[in-house]
Amino acid sequence: MASRDVVTYKTPLSRLLNVVIVIFLAFYLVWTVLPLFLMFVSSFKDLLAAFQLPPVGAFSQIGLFFDFAPTTKHYYNLFYNLDFSTYLMNSIIAAGGSAVVSVVLGSMAAYSLSRVDFRGKGDLFFWIISTRMAPVVAVLVPLYAIFRGFDLIGTRTGLILAYTTFNLPFAIWILKGFFDNVPFAIEEASMVDGSTRFQAFRAILPLVAPGIGAFIVLCVLFAWNDFLFASIIGSGGAKTLPPATRELVQPQNIQWGSIMAAGVVTTVPMMFLGLLIRRYLVTGLTMGAVRE
Amino acid sequence: MTQNISPAPEGAVRYVDGAKVLDYLPQVFNVKPSSSYYFWLMAPALIVLAAISIYPFFWLIWMSLHNVGSSAGDTFVGLKNFEKLLTDDKFWIGWGLLFKYSAFCMFFEIAIGVLLAVILNGHRFENILVTVFLMPMMMAPAIAGLVWYYLFNSTFGWYHWLLQSLGILGETSIIGSTDTAMAALIIVDIWQWTPLITLITLAGMKRVPRDQLEANMVDGASAFRNFVAITLPNIYPFLLIGIMLRFMDNFRFIDVILALTGGGPAESTKVLPVYLFDVSFVFFKLGRGAAIALTLLIVTIILCKLLVRVFEGPASKRTDMGS
Repeated sequence: MASRDVVTYKTPLSRLLNVVIVIFLAFYLVWTVLPLFLMFVSSFKDLLAAFQLPPVGAFSQIGLFFDFAPTTKHYYNLFYNLDFSTYLMNSIIAAGGSAVVSVVLGSMAAYSLSRVDFRGKGDLFFWIISTRMAPVVAVLVPLYAIFRGFDLIGTRTGLILAYTTFNLPFAIWILKGFFDNVPFAIEEASMVDGSTRFQAFRAILPLVAPGIGAFIVLCVLFAWNDFLFASIIGSGGAKTLPPATRELVQPQNIQWGSIMAAGVVTTVPMMFLGLLIRRYLVTGLTMGAVRE
Repeated sequence: MTQNISPAPEGAVRYVDGAKVLDYLPQVFNVKPSSSYYFWLMAPALIVLAAISIYPFFWLIWMSLHNVGSSAGDTFVGLKNFEKLLTDDKFWIGWGLLFKYSAFCMFFEIAIGVLLAVILNGHRFENILVTVFLMPMMMAPAIAGLVWYYLFNSTFGWYHWLLQSLGILGETSIIGSTDTAMAALIIVDIWQWTPLITLITLAGMKRVPRDQLEANMVDGASAFRNFVAITLPNIYPFLLIGIMLRFMDNFRFIDVILALTGGGPAESTKVLPVYLFDVSFVFFKLGRGAAIALTLLIVTIILCKLLVRVFEGPASKRTDMGS
């Protein structure tokens, strides 16, 4: 494309602007990465080293931050003294379970909603999206009362169901947009060849498979990062990583090293998953309203 | 049998008895799938969804009319729970704080996010920088709250040390004072969610027609004028979506607030959902909590109505169809 290269002239002003832009980007980069970096480094620090700060205003002693002997004892502590392997397992099962349930049921519903038209369809969609957008605490109040009656508090099943309250509407809503883009003619061709309707549905699944995969990952991410459901409905038997990390904060003895290590354990897998589905991230996080 | 081969334009789809019929195909191919098949396919999801959303919603209404969990069992109290809310200062302050919190977050996130998008659009390192910038979004909000709690700590927090060294703060930590605690929450929200606005804006900017920008430039418009006259109107629907989504997320999640301040100090950060959490799960007044939850839900549903309208705007069209 020739039109891509708009001729620009370098004036002193534009040079100054460029310098300002570079400074701004550098500042923003540091601002974004620094908390993550500090969390990562602090998770390898001994308790005493973590408490060391230079005197106020002594910017020259900022190197004190790196003045420590790295130790992995906090990670050891998490998994051997504390019960973090169980919490990790709870997180994986609850998040994975709800993601699979939501996407399997959601893709079936999304497919048929995309293929069929009926009165009240708009209202149905409004119900679906308002379920997704309901404030978590407001959902939690009745759900807690109901789950208490069914003995679901403190179980992984309860947690999976709770996560499905936001993952299932998300899956239906977003996958419907995906099926809308698949022409009906493909199913028709398949049915003309003698397949049943369900086989025809299966025939178009490969076309939407990348999207479905990406949204399973996104459902895992939403459920994994949840704190409120996990701390109330999961309390007792099905504690996941975020509330378990929060519980390390105690009035007397805050184990910062362990907290930071737990933070790393919780965050790193999600960052990899996020990068994995980078292409679908904008679509997913905006409920399909914005496509890249 | 009539061979009806009318070349229908793309998108012209007819529905007969709920089934999609494509006019451009010979009639024989338009086998009418019975709509009951589709109904059965969507039934499981809708039943599950009803069980976990409509059923609890009626429970919520029932709870709001009762005194739940009292020693005498659940007693019917009529609208008393709602009446109490009218004179409950914390309830109204909670709403005020929630809107204040959301408005400030929104203002800074839009300002910084759009600026960042303008800079990054077409930048040499756009891809890598965007990827790095969106890392905080992947973090569990509760963990983000804890990390910032650590950074803001008045005895060993590095950010507190920095703020103190720069003379911005005194001895008290930013989360320890009623004047600044809200600012701390807003800072964390900006840190975590500005990239979302940037991502949305960037997606919008990719769709700004290039020829218009160039034509305007040929006519002698400055880059700034170009941005105001052409880019901004084009990305406006995208920004609207971003604003709505962030606004609703601020209503939805209180993880950061619970981890960072817990509503304190002196209730200066007790936004409505936090107050609701306290009433329901700290003091276990579930009936009262249900009444508060209902008001929150009603406001959310109104916001949702607006959101759906925004969603149907031009931003949702696919790239490869336009421009």
